[in-house]
Amino acid sequence: MSHSHRAEDKYFFAHTQRNFTQQNSLSFSHFLIMESLPLETAEKIILRWDSTASEDARDKMIFSGGVDRDEADLYLQAVDEIQRSLSSVSVSSSDKVNSAIQIAMARLEDEFRNILISHTIPFDPSTSEDDPSQTLPDLLPSSTSSPKHPLTNLEQDSTETEPETTNTTTTTTPLLRFNSDGAASSVHSSVSSVNSVNSSSYRSTSSIREIDLIPSDAVYDLRCIAERMLSSGYLRECIQVYGSVRKSSVDASFRKLHIEKLSIGDVQRLEWEQLENKIRRWIKAAKVCVRTLFASEKKLCEQIFDGVGTSIDDACFMETVKGPAIQLFNFAEAISISRRSPEKLFKILDLHDALTDLMPDIDVVFDSKSSESIRVQAAEILSRLGEAARGILSEFENAVLKEPSRVPVPGGTIHPLTRYVMNYISLISDYKVTLNELIVSKPSTGSRYSGDVGIPDMDLSEYEEKTPLDVHLIWIIVILQFNLDGKSKHYRDASLAHLFIMNNVHYIVQKVRGSSELREMIGDDYLKKLTGKFRQAATRYQRETWVKVLYYLRDEGLHASGGFSSGVSKSALRDRFKTFNSMFEEVHRTQAVWLIPDSQLREELRISISEKLIPAYRSFLGRFRSYIESGRHPENYIKYSVEDLEYAVLDFFEGIPVSQHLRRRSE
Amino acid sequence: MPATTENNNQGSFLGRISIRRNQVMSMDGSHDQEMEDLELFQKHIGDRFSELLSSTSEDSSSSSSSSSSGDALLSIAWLRRLLDEFLCCEAEFKAVVLMGRDPSQITKPPLDKLLPDLLDRGVKSLDVCNAVTLGLDAVKNLQRLAEIAVAALEQTPLGDGQVRRAKKALSALVAAMLNDDSNAAAKGTERTRSFGRRAGNTNATKYKSLSWSMAKNWSAAKQIHAMMSNLTAPRGAESSGLAQPMYMMSTVLVFVMWTLVAAVPCQERNGLGTHFPLPRQLGWAQPMIGLQEKIAEEWKKKEKKGNVGLLEEMQRMDKLGQSLIEFADSFQFPTETERMDEVKKHVEELGDICKKMEEGLEPLQQQIREVFHRVVRSRTEFLLALDQAAKSTTPAL
Repeated sequence: MSHSHRAEDKYFFAHTQRNFTQQNSLSFSHFLIMESLPLETAEKIILRWDSTASEDARDKMIFSGGVDRDEADLYLQAVDEIQRSLSSVSVSSSDKVNSAIQIAMARLEDEFRNILISHTIPFDPSTSEDDPSQTLPDLLPSSTSSPKHPLTNLEQDSTETEPETTNTTTTTTPLLRFNSDGAASSVHSSVSSVNSVNSSSYRSTSSIREIDLIPSDAVYDLRCIAERMLSSGYLRECIQVYGSVRKSSVDASFRKLHIEKLSIGDVQRLEWEQLENKIRRWIKAAKVCVRTLFASEKKLCEQIFDGVGTSIDDACFMETVKGPAIQLFNFAEAISISRRSPEKLFKILDLHDALTDLMPDIDVVFDSKSSESIRVQAAEILSRLGEAARGILSEFENAVLKEPSRVPVPGGTIHPLTRYVMNYISLISDYKVTLNELIVSKPSTGSRYSGDVGIPDMDLSEYEEKTPLDVHLIWIIVILQFNLDGKSKHYRDASLAHLFIMNNVHYIVQKVRGSSELREMIGDDYLKKLTGKFRQAATRYQRETWVKVLYYLRDEGLHASGGFSSGVSKSALRDRFKTFNSMFEEVHRTQAVWLIPDSQLREELRISISEKLIPAYRSFLGRFRSYIESGRHPENYIKYSVEDLEYAVLDFFEGIPVSQHLRRRSE
Repeated sequence: MPATTENNNQGSFLGRISIRRNQVMSMDGSHDQEMEDLELFQKHIGDRFSELLSSTSEDSSSSSSSSSSGDALLSIAWLRRLLDEFLCCEAEFKAVVLMGRDPSQITKPPLDKLLPDLLDRGVKSLDVCNAVTLGLDAVKNLQRLAEIAVAALEQTPLGDGQVRRAKKALSALVAAMLNDDSNAAAKGTERTRSFGRRAGNTNATKYKSLSWSMAKNWSAAKQIHAMMSNLTAPRGAESSGLAQPMYMMSTVLVFVMWTLVAAVPCQERNGLGTHFPLPRQLGWAQPMIGLQEKIAEEWKKKEKKGNVGLLEEMQRMDKLGQSLIEFADSFQFPTETERMDEVKKHVEELGDICKKMEEGLEPLQQQIREVFHRVVRSRTEFLLALDQAAKSTTPAL
């Protein structure tokens, strides 16, 4: 157990410090420590410090700088002597001894409290940022060239020269200095890291980063007192005092970390945006709490109580952190049971990821039987967050299916829903790792046998090799298209409806292609289908618009009385030109306002239009121009040259109304 | 014993569910079935609470040995039974209202209002559960103080030092139980020098800090009041439909939470009120009214002391604590044997209470956690059902 190992180290430190001081001040009391104390002297010492008896005893503390340090050792010695005599003396004289023990215990309880309060190093959240790699390498001998805090440097030099001799005065003296100076806590924590690097390597790979909450010499004193309180049956008092002081210290640290006390009701009432910020802050704070604050409290309990009695360290630890831990997790719990809606998914996943990261540390810090409830609660919250994420995904699918807006998007461009959904699923692909673990069942899709017209069909057997999450993404795109198909029916112009589908499905394809993650998840097979779908919509658009227009450029019906050779009906021809002109003008006017936001797609469609329109017009003109030009006012019938039309097509799908009429070459 | 009754009850209603599920539900046939279900649900709620009422032992002061007649009102064991009953009611409620039912039924008026109200009460009860769990941690602290006193006073022969030790613990114990939120805050600073305040004060601050994990302005009393709002019995045609079980479940939930707050120290219990309106005209509510009256009576007896909770074990601790402090104040060695015998009896009783707490508090906390889970789970299921109902009413495209 490296825990106890380290506690031993501390113990040893403090011990040598004391011996060191003692060597410098050989006093009467020191002499007494070496010898055994007569019972009477012991009783006198106890009574001298009876705070109910004398003013002096009430005002001074034994374990503090105010009194000669050796007095503390003497007092402990006296207590030991009294305890020893209790087990040996006869019943008749035990009453006096008993009384002395009660006085001593009351005294020690106060001393214990006083040490705890006065030696608490204020917790500084800035020294415990959750990235150990930033500070740890600096402490390793290999990186001596990097600039360092002078005090750290000093510390490091001493460990370098004599890595195993931490018990020498050269190393412990600065330690002592830092310890008694609360302001140097950051240095101090670095020092303890050095020790942990030297003594045990497994901690350096863990994300747990303990700091010393109380300097080691004070820890030693506390341990000495705790041992005596326990052996006299005052364990409960000891735990009581310990818990109350440490808990208020943890409370203060919570305030520094800005951990709020919010009830579940509060969390349900808050706006999600506010909660997003709180979640962000909570994640940071929770890491510091678990890995540094709680872990350090646990370490402190071990340092003071480990080996003093059975699982006293656990009892004290839980006494200190149970309330705070519940408070901390309460927020995550409140989030996990909040109403599910799509916008919450990603922050909930962040919270889930953070808690997943913390779980191993939670298991370590709360490993005892008595802290089981905390461990269980954390696991429950984690699973609830996972459940929430699943619920939200299904909620999202539902929302995509039902999104009710009916007002057609002007110009048949990309619907806001399409953008929203595609942004959403590309975010989903960012959380792929987590979601692949959480989403374990494929969506409940419609099938052609379900007969439910409100849900689209999807044959899951085509996607057997895909992960459930992948299938969900495909399914979301399926229902998005299903919804868009519904929306397209609200366009009065069928051509525009096709253009709308083309635009939106094209956008979907572009979005999927644009992200390698998404592309991999959706897969090329389905991407091909999508591509097919927007191409089909383009074809349908062309058919819908241009078949009607090109109809007027056909030969049939122009030849009088049937025979091919019998000549051309001029009036029919004039009608054809006039109708073609007006139809083309109409299409030009309306479709210039339509919009294809993707320039390449726009270009392709125009080319495709031109490829059909221009040759047909050219050949029609070639065949029949002479008939018109031989008559009156040919310009009334042949308004446009081939080039005019070529130019006109360039106005299409720009989303800009054409103010003037079609340009003519003659103008 | 609670466990067995629970099993029996569970058995009976689970049986009923399977009957219901095996039925082919035609539109007309299910109506009669539903009436029958609702009636059974009502009956079961009435039965459960009347059983609890009848097995509640009258005399609380010396019930430690007379456990055969049932558990004392508001004792740990009694609260555990109450929570057992709650969990059963809750399970049955879901069976009646949710299982095997077309989700669209719970979105129709008046349920479109009543269900959200119930779910809201559920969320509120979660905070109560948390507050009560913390309160029970505070009770554990009292237990430890009592244990110190017991350990000290058990010594023979009893010396001055041990009596002083016991008195210190007992004073803290009694002070903690007298403490209300208003004066605890004033004493809130812990100073470095702890002399001159040998008893009481230290632990008063400690006690305050125990409820510290709830939100700052959170008040158990206000929470219960908020849960009571909009709680009215369905009238007219509504009273035969699903509005009835919604109302019953809400009432049971409020009653249980009110009782917990009455019994256990919680943040801000002031103004909780000894009564809340229960429907006097409805049969199933009668046993609950009976229990409420008993609790109110208990309350009246204790309220002048401004204590922190009616938990039976705590109340007895308080009494024993007072009398033992009295003894400690007048302690002289040697004490006459008659007095010593009495003290010995009190110490033993205090020790018994500690043992009961040691055995019962943890399971009670676990049970409250179970209630918490159950409320969350039901809420999720109801929200899911609402979700499905919304899905099936997709606007025709």
